[in-house]
This record gives sequence, C-alpha cells and structure tokens, in this order.
Amino acid sequence: MLSLQHISKFYQVGGTRNFVINDISLEVEAGEFISIMGPSGSGKSTLLNIIGMLDEPSSGYHYFVGETVHQLKDKQRSALYKKYIGFVFQAYHLIDELTVYENIETPLIYQDFKSTERKAMVADMLDRFQIVGKKDLFPAQLSGGQQQLVGIARALIAGPKLLLADEPTGNLNSKQGEEIMQLFKKLNKEDGVTIIQVTHSEKNAEYGSRIINLLDGRIESSKQL
Amino acid sequence: MFRNYFKIAMRGFGRQKLFTFINVVGLSIGISAAVVIYLIVHFDFTFDKFHKDGDRIYRIVTNYTYSGNAGFNSGVCGPMGGAVKNQVTGIEVVAPFFTLGQPDVFIPGNTAVPVRFKNQENIILADGNYFKIFEYKWLAGSAQHALDAPNQVVITSDQAKKYFPTLSYDQMIGKIVTYDTLKTTVTGIVQTIKENTDFNFHDFISYSTNQTNKTIADQLQLTKWGATNSESQLFVKLSPKTKTAHIEKQINGIFNKNYKERAGVSHSYHLQPLSDMHFNENYYNFFDDRIASKTTLYGLLTIASFLLLLGCINFVNLTTAQATQRAKEIGIRKTMGSSRKQLILQFLSETFFITLAAVIISIALTPLILKLFADFIAPGINANLLGQPNLILFLVILTVMVSLLSGFYPAILLSGYKPIMVLKNQSVPNSSKSHNAYLRKSLTITQFIIAQFFIMATILVSKQIYYVMHKDMGFKKDAILIISAPWKNLTIKKNRLLIDYIRSIPQVSLAGLGGPPPSEDGNNSTESTYMDGKKEVKIELDEKYGDENYINVYHIKLLAGRNLRASDSTSGFLINETYARLINPQYPLEAVGKQIEKFNGDKTMQVIGVVGDFNQMSLHESITPLAILKGNQTYNYARIHIALKPEIAGGNEWKTAIASMGTYWKQIYPDDDFDYRFFDDSIAKFYASEQHTATLLAWATGLSIFISCLGLLGLAIYTTNQRTKEIGVRKVLGASVAQIVTLLSTEVVSLILIAFLVITPIAWWAMNKWMQSFADRTTISWWIFVLSGAGMIITAVFVSSFQTVKAAIANPVKSLRSE
Repeated sequence: MLSLQHISKFYQVGGTRNFVINDISLEVEAGEFISIMGPSGSGKSTLLNIIGMLDEPSSGYHYFVGETVHQLKDKQRSALYKKYIGFVFQAYHLIDELTVYENIETPLIYQDFKSTERKAMVADMLDRFQIVGKKDLFPAQLSGGQQQLVGIARALIAGPKLLLADEPTGNLNSKQGEEIMQLFKKLNKEDGVTIIQVTHSEKNAEYGSRIINLLDGRIESSKQL
Repeated sequence: MFRNYFKIAMRGFGRQKLFTFINVVGLSIGISAAVVIYLIVHFDFTFDKFHKDGDRIYRIVTNYTYSGNAGFNSGVCGPMGGAVKNQVTGIEVVAPFFTLGQPDVFIPGNTAVPVRFKNQENIILADGNYFKIFEYKWLAGSAQHALDAPNQVVITSDQAKKYFPTLSYDQMIGKIVTYDTLKTTVTGIVQTIKENTDFNFHDFISYSTNQTNKTIADQLQLTKWGATNSESQLFVKLSPKTKTAHIEKQINGIFNKNYKERAGVSHSYHLQPLSDMHFNENYYNFFDDRIASKTTLYGLLTIASFLLLLGCINFVNLTTAQATQRAKEIGIRKTMGSSRKQLILQFLSETFFITLAAVIISIALTPLILKLFADFIAPGINANLLGQPNLILFLVILTVMVSLLSGFYPAILLSGYKPIMVLKNQSVPNSSKSHNAYLRKSLTITQFIIAQFFIMATILVSKQIYYVMHKDMGFKKDAILIISAPWKNLTIKKNRLLIDYIRSIPQVSLAGLGGPPPSEDGNNSTESTYMDGKKEVKIELDEKYGDENYINVYHIKLLAGRNLRASDSTSGFLINETYARLINPQYPLEAVGKQIEKFNGDKTMQVIGVVGDFNQMSLHESITPLAILKGNQTYNYARIHIALKPEIAGGNEWKTAIASMGTYWKQIYPDDDFDYRFFDDSIAKFYASEQHTATLLAWATGLSIFISCLGLLGLAIYTTNQRTKEIGVRKVLGASVAQIVTLLSTEVVSLILIAFLVITPIAWWAMNKWMQSFADRTTISWWIFVLSGAGMIITAVFVSSFQTVKAAIANPVKSLRSE
C-alpha cells in the first residue's frame, strides 16, 4: 500500500546538511497497525507528515496506493490524501467555532458529498462513537478524551484507507488513552483500516502489529509483534 | 458549503464583536459616501442622455472677443436660423427657438376675470422642427402640423393640467391661452419629459407668430446680424457622419459674408454638443438652469473613493492583525482536504457578509444624508431603490468591489499558511509576520496621509472664506436693503414715488435710486478714450448707475472732487482710483475735471470726483476701472438702495420697516410681488460654492479622522495584546505607567510623522492651485500644516490611549503567569 525508498529530509545550515530523516526505506501492507517510537527529535513526526503528504521529503521515492507520490503535483497529491488518508492529532485540532457535528462534517464538505449524504454519514458516525448527545456542543465544552473521540470520528468520516495518528493519547489520562487505543485496535481488526501512529508509550505501541524505532532520522530497529 | 461559511463567519463575528463593529462602521461610512455621491454624479451625468441620436444634436453658440476679452453667448443673431437652414449642407434639421421673458399667462374661464399665472418661465417660441430634433410623446394633436400657423401653442401635459384642471387632453385642443397680450389657440399636448433634462419648456408658441405680432418680431430681430441675444437659440441635428468643423466653417462663412466686424470685436460660431450643455459654465442654458461643475463632481468622486479606501484599509489591517488567531483553523481545514481556493472563497465570503451588512446600513442612511445635504444636492435626487435599477446595479458592483478590495489580500495571506507549521504548534513564520507588519504600517500611513490632507484643506478653505467674508471691500455691506422694481411695470416716476414713501419710514437713514449695487456678479462694461496731450489712452471700464445718494448709502469714500448732485446733467461722473491712475499715474486725484472722450462710443464726459477703490465683483476678480454715472434710462434706476438705522439687539425695527415698505409697494406696484434682499446676503452668496466646498471638506475630514481612529484603536488593541508579556516584564523591572504608554505610543506618532512629511508638499501644491481662482487671497501659513499634524498626533495618541493605558496599568503578575 505504501512504499518509501531512501527518503531523506534535511535542512541546509551553512555548508552542512542537517538531516531530520536520513535515508529511510519502509514498506507498509494494507491492514497493518504500525507504531513509530523514538526519542524527541528522532524524526517521528516528520516521517508521519511525509507519509501524510503534509511535508515533502528532500529526496527519495514515495509510492502510495499505486501512485508515484514524489512525481505528483500539489493538486493531485491533495486529491490523493483527501481520498485515502485520515489524520488524528495530539492536540485534537478541532475547529473551535464549529460544533461537534459540523467538525465531523467538514471533510465531507471538501469532498463534495451532497447534503443528504453528509447527514446520513455524520449521524452514522455519531452513533458509532456514541456521541449523539454531544453533537451540538462546541469543542471547548468537551473533555480531552471526548475531543479526541470527535477528532477520530472526523478522521474516519470519509472512510480513509490509512489513519495517521501523531501521539493521539499524548494529552489524555491513562484511562482515556486506553479507550482510544482499544478503538484503534477495533478499527484495524474489524474495519481493516491501516494505522500508523507515533507514540512515546511502550504500552500503547504494543497495540500495533509492528513497532519501528527511530533514532537520529534512521530506523534503528523494527519489531514484528 | 456557503451555509457553512456563513455559520462560521457569524460565530466569528460574535466572538470578535469590536473588530467586526469597527469593520462594519468603517465600511458603512465609505459606502454611504459612495452611494450619495453616486446619486449626485449619476444625476448630473444622465442629463439629456435619452434623446434619440443625441450625439448628432448640437447648439450653435457665439464666441466673441471684445478688446481682447473673451465672451460667450449661448444664442445667435436673429437671421442665423434662416440662413443655416437655407445655405448650410450636412444638417438634417434646424430648429431655432426663442425663450420668452416671464409673461403672465391668462386662461379665460367661466368667470369674468380670466385665471392668471404670474411671471411664467419656460415658455418659448418654436416651430415644428423643435419636435423633430427632440421627440416628445403626443397626447393630443400631431407633431406634423401643430405649430404651422401663427398664434398656435403646444403645451406639456403637466402644465396643461394646471391651465385646464377639469378637461381631458383632447378637450383642451382649441382652447384659448393668452400670454400677456398674445392670444393663442391650443393645437397640441405633449407628454412632460420625465427623465433628467434641461429642456423644461412647457409652452411652445408657434415661431411664425412673428409674422402677425410686431412685439414678437421686434424681439426676434430676424434681420440684424449685429445683435446677439442669448434668448435666440439655434439647435441643429447633423446628418450622420458629418464633421462639426465642416459645419462651423460654413456658418462662420455666412456670418462674415453678411456682417462686417467693428474694430476690436470679432465673432465666431461653434457647435456645442448636447452632452456639454449641462456642464459648460460659459453658456447659460435657457432660464438660468443649474449648470453642474465637472470639477466639483470629480472632487466628490475623489472624496468618495478616499473614504471607501479608508474603510477597506481598516479591514485589511484588522484582518491581517488577527491572522495568527485563525492560523489553526486554516491548518486544520487544509489537512481535512480543503484546497487553497476553497479557503480563499471562505475568507472572501466572510468579507462579503461584512460588506453586505455595511451596504444595508448605507441604504438606510442614504435618505438621511440626502436630507442633511439638501442645500447643495439637486432636488431631483432621491435614494428610492425601486425606481432606480441603476442604483441597485451600482450597489451590487460596489459590494463585490469592496469585498474584493478588502478581502483579497487577507484571503491570500491567510490561505497561504502551511498546515504543517500551524499544527506543529509553531507560530506563523517570522519572515511573513514582519512582512505583514510592514504592510500594515504602510496602510496606516496611507490613512493618515488622506486624513491629514483633508484637515489641511479644510483649514485653508475656511481661512480663505473667513478672509473674503471679512475683508474690507471698500464699501459698507450690512444694514443695507435693496429693492428691485418689477421690470415689466417699472417707471422712474413710480420709483421716485416709492422712494419718497420709504424715506418717510423712521428706521430708514438714507435711500437712493440706482442700478446694481457696488458689488455684484456680472458687470456692464464700455470703452472710453482719454487724450493725454496727443497720446490717446483707451480705457475699458465698468459702469454703475446711481443718484446723489448712491455712494453715501454704501459709504464709498470720496477722495477728491465732489459727489454727484441732483441738479447735475448726465455728462459729469465719478471714477474710481484705479481709473484715475490710468489718467494720471502719479497724482491720480488730479484726474478731477479732466475730459473723457468717446465714452460709450460718442459721448464726451467730465470727471467731477474720484472715489476710493472697491471690489465691484467677488474677490475672485480684481478691481478694474469704474465709472459711477447718473442714470438716463429707466433701467438705470430700477433699484432702490436703502441704508437702515442700526437695530437694537433683539429688536424688530427692520421687520417693521420692511413690512411698511411692502405696504407702499402694493400701492405702487399692485400686480407684482415685493422683491427685496439684504446686501450682505448677496455678498455671502458670491462664495456659496466655496462654502459648500468647506462644508463637504469638513465632513470628509471628520469622517476620515473617525475611520482612521477606529482602525487605529483596533491596531492598538492588537499591538498591546501582542506585547502583553513585554509590558509585564518591563513593569516588573520598574517601568512606570507613563513610560509604558510612551513606549506604546511612539509607533503611532512616528507613523503620523511619516505621513505628515509625505503629504505636506502635496497639500501645499494643491492649496496653491485652489487659491489661484481668487484674485485676492489669504496666505498659506506654515501654521496650517503644523496645526493639522499636531492635531492628528494628539487625536491619535488620545484614541490609542484607551488601550495603551489599560495595558500599562494591568497587573504584570497576571500577564506573566499565563505565559
């Protein structure tokens, strides 16, 4: 599904190159649940952003669902990730001015779903996450765990093949974190969503099917669970 | 999707009430000004635009030079109409007409005394060709033959209803209408023109009436090539593709063949396009119709665009200042799959909502503004949306334009944020932030430039008006009343009778007969020759007529010789000092007793006295040689000049005096309305257009300062928020409130100073230009500039102090804790 070959990301500082990602190659099959770990500054988030096409590598080859990403134009790339990729953030990043319902609906608007379709899909999602009663609340009125739930619902609404999560439990307490991880596992097993998460927590990493350890922009180790 | 934008926009406005308020108010002011000025400009520019083939319709006008002075006359000499019709090629229709001077109209009714309409204007003599050039809708009768025979008349529908309120249009045909003594029969009714037009004629008497009526024939002067009268107008419709130069050449050729110019005088004929008539101040239209000034209209347009610009600048400033607050939303939307285009559309639609709100407010305000400025807005202008589809179109265009102008840059800026930057919790990159601040500063400077220009202009115009109103013009102007006798029924004998009555009124200190007062718009000039030994000195001069009391009523100083006496013949006269200097440059007072020859062509006159110079016209004009003569014609003594005794404060002696004058008037001129005015009022009217300019400028200044200050307040809020931490740290380190306020105000002051440096030379140049229109003018003092700069700084510091002081006295512990 995803293939990175010799991907590097560096910044030119004076005469030397400062590598954030240094020659990483990675293959991801559909249905995998990968946890990326590593100390601060090891390049986890950058790698995730490159996979999510929010950031561009300085060099290397990037293939996703049969497309040659590194050759695509901005527009095609954004069309690609719109269709296949959902994002979950550590800080939830909900739009403060929109209600729970509208936040979840937003990606559908950008993918030109009709109003009636949107209604049905959002209602379905609210149901599935058991947050129907909260649909008219604003993010500020929710707890962190509830906000992240909305964030995940929003990431899933358009039916992505790949879910990218950047420390999804980082701002949550352990109980809320566990619930989110259970949800991820269920999504992976039952719905077949491929998941790549960045995490600091050993325990959360073990929900995945593979753990990749990064250090100084390289893959230090990779462990199949 | 649009609904979604609308929702988020509304919630955003709710959270940012103050910023939204500032934006809406700023834009409303600009838009209201634009709407009102659009109405004014559109009104004037649509005059007589509706005529079929209007681009081929011209008026033939006469330009002449007389001893080097240029003159303009909107009419032609009597024989010209017939000659053009018979001899000029390239013309489709020739329509001469003649504007009648205010006849009384009589409609014989069932009663013995006919119904009378006094002093009617807009009555002309015309033939059928008039209706071939200007097409009217005929309600009764026909265009072909209605004006064929003498003593026929065509009336417009509105006027016809006044004359015959109970009849249908068809029944009016054949009725009798009498103009003074001229009896006519109604042969047609045409629809009154509803569009904007200068052609407001409502009675058209057949031109051929001159064949049967001697009075009319005398007025038309159909055989005199030498007499040009602005009442005798000539309109032509050219054949398609005819060049005006070709026609003008033929017309001038005809004139030169028929008339030999006197020395020093030359005539030339021109075609004035129909579209020029409403704007060209050189030529009177028919009955003293209002001539619009294109300069004024363009000035108004400039003011409107500046106010609009100020509102847009506020918007750009405030929106970009808030950019960082919206960065997160932008980042999220982009990761959710929004394209840049969609984001730009979202921000533009937010701007659109704000603009729309401002437009709606403006629509509500416009009628009020029109009322407020009713003094110098033509009465036909209204803000009725339903009757004016063009206004709706203008509002739509304005809304779109303003939305784009104020929304485009912020939309581009905001939508350009890279989501990765935002979502990593980094703030917006520094480079773009400083670029952003630089732009905001430039925009603020622009606002101050506009505001200061208006301030400087207002001060100068007010100074000049004060100067001209208070300058000693060389005569007394207050407590003087001028009565104009009705020219139709006027005789010197009746006027003498009236003045005797008036002298008996206790509140009158002095009264005299004469022509125009010492200073009036328009003059009466002639030529004279003085023989200085063998040398001939030709002098072009102004004439005023008055009796022995004239110069005393106006306190005109007698410098040498003596005043006119009742017993004097008309060959002795007074001259002013400027005239005397032309006779004897070194000792002007010795001009007394000198002979003046060829006065007004052939008379020999003697100087009996020299009076001090006074301004014969407004201070736009300089003082020219002048003679004060005793009258020998009825019209020389058409006015009574009355000096009133001073009124006790709060008293109403003058009112009483005027009332008794009115009573006497009724005994002598029973048919006419009492016509009087105060001299100082008519002097003030010289500067009516300057007064209007001053009022408009004062408004423009007030509004531009207001809008700029609103924007300034918004920026101050933003800056102080940004610098909360810095302020906290400084206070902990021991800074006083005053020091903090100074720190925060420095930026504003420096922006104003930059604006001041930019605008001062430009303003100085513009003022100089404006002042050229005055022969007598005040100085452009340095303090005008200093005053406006200082005033702006004080206002700006005061306005931003609301925010800076609040920030400075805030407890630093609070601001630092949250960091």
